Amino acid sequence: MKQYAYYPGCSLESLGKNYHISALEVSRELGLELKELEDWNCCGATAYFPVDELLAYTLVSRNLAIAEKSGLQDFVAPCSACYKNAYFTNSYLQKDADLAEHINYALEADNLHVNGTMKVRHLIEVFIEDVGIEEIQKKVSNPLKGLRVAPYYGCQLVRPRKAKEDVENPQYFEGLLSALGAEPIEYASKTRCCGGSLIITNRKAALDMVHKLLQDAVKNNANVIATTCPMCNVNVEVYQSQVNREFGTDFSIPVMYFTQLMGIALGIEPKRIGVGASMLSLAQSTVS
Amino acid sequence: MAVELSFSKEIENIMYASHGKPIKDCLQCGTCSGSCPAVEFMDNSPREIIGLISADFKKEVLASNTYWTCASCYHCSVRCPAGIDIADMMYALKRYSMWKGEFQEGLIGPEFSESFVKMIVNSGRSFEPLLAATYLPKFSARDIVQEGLMATGLVLSGKMPLLPKKVKRLKNLQRMVRRIIPIGETK
Amino acid sequence: MNTQTKLLIIDDDPDYVAGIRSVLEKAEYSVDVAYNPKDGFQALQSKQYDLLLLDIMMGRGAEGIALARKLRKDPKLRELPVLIITGIREQIAFLFPGQPVHPHFVELDELVEKPVEPKLLLEKVSALLKMAEEKKSQAKK
Repeated sequence: MKQYAYYPGCSLESLGKNYHISALEVSRELGLELKELEDWNCCGATAYFPVDELLAYTLVSRNLAIAEKSGLQDFVAPCSACYKNAYFTNSYLQKDADLAEHINYALEADNLHVNGTMKVRHLIEVFIEDVGIEEIQKKVSNPLKGLRVAPYYGCQLVRPRKAKEDVENPQYFEGLLSALGAEPIEYASKTRCCGGSLIITNRKAALDMVHKLLQDAVKNNANVIATTCPMCNVNVEVYQSQVNREFGTDFSIPVMYFTQLMGIALGIEPKRIGVGASMLSLAQSTVS
Repeated sequence: MAVELSFSKEIENIMYASHGKPIKDCLQCGTCSGSCPAVEFMDNSPREIIGLISADFKKEVLASNTYWTCASCYHCSVRCPAGIDIADMMYALKRYSMWKGEFQEGLIGPEFSESFVKMIVNSGRSFEPLLAATYLPKFSARDIVQEGLMATGLVLSGKMPLLPKKVKRLKNLQRMVRRIIPIGETK
Repeated sequence: MNTQTKLLIIDDDPDYVAGIRSVLEKAEYSVDVAYNPKDGFQALQSKQYDLLLLDIMMGRGAEGIALARKLRKDPKLRELPVLIITGIREQIAFLFPGQPVHPHFVELDELVEKPVEPKLLLEKVSALLKMAEEKKSQAKK
């Protein structure tokens, strides 16, 4: 069983709990073990950078250092913001010796040392690259036939650019959904932003962004929106009713973590992946 | 007497470590503004902000809500034909305005950043006020939203202490923070 | 006069720099300025200075601390006296609930908080220069 250093991030302990449990269940089903980092801290999301970027890198480095100490090779984050922060901090540690030295001076205070040797990955990448689409497809016992899913990548999963990957029109999420038997829809908003923390700092702007996303997904006949990030999930799910009030719309499209859809397709008991009855009937009604 | 340094140079200096190209390379093509999902809510589009910086319109830039309306989605950064990391520039402007304590009145962004950083320095974990809603029964979205709004307001006004999980080695974490930012010892 | 004492200021705030620069120049010091840590370090490597006046919050964050630490590890710059002049308590006030700025992150430093009275500035500068001079002559003995 391949093991991964797993960094759940703060959201997965509260509103993103269903993401957490479904990530663990699906991983186990696919023969992967996510080992949660001991005593991890918050990565800071987007909030440190307006104050002190060096502090942001240091706090992220503490998690990377704890992961390195575990002897595992891969640092896996299910949250797009955590993933982006860990990915870039790790690469700056490799490139900037002065930065690494200064951060290590700070990490000494917790008896840690960071080298920047982890391979930082998002959970969806691990499933697609390490297990493989074909292998996943083989394990599907309950194909999501006829379920039209809007794959919602959001922003920080795909941006900023890391290497030469397609940041405008990625396709791997669609590939995964097809393997589950679902029908990924095409729509222009798949990599548009959900508003992120603007939901708190500029509610009007964020609701507008969520509104546009919902409109696009519904117009293209999606039955469900699948997310890869707890922030996206909260903004699109919880704030749907507020969008309706604000814009006079009547959206009621379910929003699920991609791991929950995987869990259903793999035949995992719904309650173990945080899927309620209404969600399940949706998935099943389209099957029949 | 030395000539005072221009505002555009100040911004260049605060961005000295940016991984993108300098903003003086901007072509004013507007790709950033066209890609920005929040542009309608900005006083000035990203293109205009760059133009204002280049023309040293310091007062106008500091008074603008533009960078505090940036959601950090990096669409502008990956598309900029001049290779400028525009989202990074927005962060630099946020720092500039935070450190000077000068920003448009009524913005929540600066306060939110402060509360967030404070929370992490105090506990090692974050717990976005909005997430307090977790404890409400599911499928009552209206309540969740109302609660979230209320909690946000309470936390920002400092009236509500939140109790997220704490890291175990909190003292070490705080010593670590003090090695980066030389705040005094907490007793 | 070619025996003039040479000072370097590394600070990103042009208004503030203009102020202390004129005070220092009136007191017959020769003053160079760098407005970011990278230019500052380059200046220190290309020319010999007698004292550094260093800001903390620049560029990405508390870069002055990183730079001061780097100097202490550099065999050529280790002895350079550093006067830290910072407005950090104003700049990120929310992190300083009545606490003083931590003064002990590098040896031989003096730290003063902005705004600095011209008289105090000149006193600190000459005191640090004197201390460094004494240290040097002791080392020679």
